[in-house]
Amino acid sequence: MKVSELVQKTGLKAINEYKDREIESVYISDMVSDLIASAKTNAVVVTLQTHKSLIAAANLAAAAMIVIVNGRKPSEDVVALANRTGIGLFSFDLDAWAFAKKLVNLGVE
Amino acid sequence: MDPCSHHWFICNVRHGYLVEEACFECGGRLSFFSAEPVPPIEKYREGRHFWAYLGSFQTVKFDLKCSACGRLVNLNDVNGLMLSECTDSDCQVGVLVLQQAPDSLVYVAVCPNTTHSTGTCVSSEGIEALNQYFKAKLAPVGRKVTVVPCKLCNSFDKCRGTSIADVGLTDIQ
Repeated sequence: MKVSELVQKTGLKAINEYKDREIESVYISDMVSDLIASAKTNAVVVTLQTHKSLIAAANLAAAAMIVIVNGRKPSEDVVALANRTGIGLFSFDLDAWAFAKKLVNLGVE
Repeated sequence: MDPCSHHWFICNVRHGYLVEEACFECGGRLSFFSAEPVPPIEKYREGRHFWAYLGSFQTVKFDLKCSACGRLVNLNDVNGLMLSECTDSDCQVGVLVLQQAPDSLVYVAVCPNTTHSTGTCVSSEGIEALNQYFKAKLAPVGRKVTVVPCKLCNSFDKCRGTSIADVGLTDIQ
């Protein structure tokens, strides 16, 4: 499934312009440092973190997109860094569990 | 020349804390990785240094292993990675950052003693393996990074950048 298709089916709100990559995996974590060693290439990263280090780590993990849950919004410098990496940033109003259920229902695991 | 083109993968993942300390006497800084459930915070004297706890944050360490030849590169001397935002034209890292294409980023591999008073930093073998690993991982998605050792910074402790660390989540108050 492409990023754009997932956005359409889950009601995600796009925060930046993004590259429409093929999603290959999912990784849910609020530990930024864990991403490099644990997230697979082209992953959907689900987190409530909004710090710049999130983008720095997701870039090294070759993540396709980041979904920030609980309606949180990153600051402008975080969005600017995400733009440089091409990683899509999205906001989801509910918690990580609610988004995880949507992923499973869509067959994205 | 190495006969193997190396297909690195991450192994030996260790979870723990990166503890930062500063010396009251010389102003030096060092950091170390602790796998203890609670990181140590005691002050102690070591030669002319008097080290005091500055802070700690959760982090992950790992090594790289080649699936083709079995070579293991120990990254014990890498205490973390920092995305450089240096623009100092008098700094080697800053110059490198300024030379990058918009989609290419420079990361600094941070060694335990960023004052480099002992003359050591992250090994060249580790830097080479990290660059090869990230190049192979990121090329298919059209991204580039360069990893450099922190000894290339004019002054790492004053360097601008974003450390990949879990600051604030489990700090000891």
